Amino acid sequence: MDKQSRRQFIRLAVRGTLFGGIALVTGNLILRQGEPLFGKNRKSGPTVWQLNPAKCIQCGRCATNCVKTPSAVKCTHAYSMCGYCNLCSGYFKPGTKTLDTGAEKQLCPVSAIKRTFVEDPFYEYTIDETLCIGCGKCVKGCGAFGNGSLQLQVRHPLCDNCNECSIARNCPAGAYRRVPLSDPYLLKGFGKEKV
Amino acid sequence: MKKKIILVFAIILFLAIVAWMFRDLFTGSPELQKNPYDYGMKELRQTDTVPAYKEVTPLKPALTTITSIATGYDGKIYVAGKGGVDILDISGRILKSFTFPGYATCLTVMPDNTLVIGMGDHVELWDPSGVQISAWQPEDTTSVITSVAASQHKIFVADAGNKIVYQYNELGKLQARIGEKDPSRKIPGFVIPSPYFDVGISPAGELWVANTGRYKLEKYDNDGSLLTSWGEASVTLEGFAGCCNPSHFTILSDGSFVTSEKGIERVKVYSPDGNFIALVARPESFDEGTRGLDLAAGSNGRILILDPLRNQVRVFLPLKKH
Repeated sequence: MDKQSRRQFIRLAVRGTLFGGIALVTGNLILRQGEPLFGKNRKSGPTVWQLNPAKCIQCGRCATNCVKTPSAVKCTHAYSMCGYCNLCSGYFKPGTKTLDTGAEKQLCPVSAIKRTFVEDPFYEYTIDETLCIGCGKCVKGCGAFGNGSLQLQVRHPLCDNCNECSIARNCPAGAYRRVPLSDPYLLKGFGKEKV
Repeated sequence: MKKKIILVFAIILFLAIVAWMFRDLFTGSPELQKNPYDYGMKELRQTDTVPAYKEVTPLKPALTTITSIATGYDGKIYVAGKGGVDILDISGRILKSFTFPGYATCLTVMPDNTLVIGMGDHVELWDPSGVQISAWQPEDTTSVITSVAASQHKIFVADAGNKIVYQYNELGKLQARIGEKDPSRKIPGFVIPSPYFDVGISPAGELWVANTGRYKLEKYDNDGSLLTSWGEASVTLEGFAGCCNPSHFTILSDGSFVTSEKGIERVKVYSPDGNFIALVARPESFDEGTRGLDLAAGSNGRILILDPLRNQVRVFLPLKKH
């Protein structure tokens, strides 16, 4: 086999780079099919990280992997889906007999959920975001037994919006994605939930 | 010789480093993968109690999305779901299928084999040959019809949206509104936090309603007065695990109850006065997260469980007479 000249090597490298580039652009276009490339409907502008509650498996990594302490991910409450249950499976540990606000009965490891009496037998549950660490334990309980009104969301005033989000990189469910800053929440609910 | 030893040692060291890097990159430490905030659902779904029933070959309807099951007085099995009804025999052979537009949310069969089908916001009556007889809508808006039960001249319709049970005659004429909150009659009203609100008629003709927000089965008389109730919230087998259970129930010919739950998916038998008798199916029998385990009583003590996730009718036979 003839020894390759420097000129041939450079020509080959340029061709390879060119073809590689074309393949990357084409692949990207295929992946983004349906999304307009030009015009006012094209998704543009700044984006932020958000997690899709429909994909979330409450693995606990939102609490442990965020660069912020406590995590910028918080439990949020979609009130339109809430049953206002007396025995809230997002508030009480499983098997709790007496339904009161004793710390030993609460599922939340930091007591970030407040329980307020509405009328018999209904209670309202609110999240104290200064305490919430985003562990998702309440989200698991609510989703397993109840309506799934407790959901994890990245709270943007707290989030550093890292270029490579440490939680997104480690999320086993692939629940994280970039969303437009103009519509930054992905809460499931019956109405447009106010966050 | 010395060189050889160094070479072998270097190769072993190299392989050990490669193995360690591989483990670190691809397997990760089990401690790191462990969720320190685990809810403990795996432990909750485990039970040492041995079921008093054994599962046999499940039945596979033709419908691709199934939601409700009932057994007819003719012994046939009726399965409804998205866009139609399948009628099967006990061996699983499909005897008849018919289609309709819409989504059946619940189903029951009247003594004359007329099918009463809840369609979310209205009720339809169908002949088993697939001819629609009539349809009507509850007078309240925002109806979410989750269950129907019928005797020869009474049709009970559970509406989770309005937290009420309507009683109609076979022509669809409203006869009574049952369970409506009425402090003067000491009726506290149903507490239905989610669309799981089942009704059933006992062999004695009594109306039973699953008041899932109170984790109880309640018996009502014809004028809507609460007669009795039983049930308590508990993760142990004796009770119903949290909100909103029992999600479904059916009543056997001897008056005992079969209940199914969501969250901790389990099916159990209770005596007519509400004492736990036996476990039919363990939580491990179902995929985690399965909801909507509708129930029907089959022949020879069979319990039929509609498994919407696997799209099957699961069949459980008693190991012995209780």
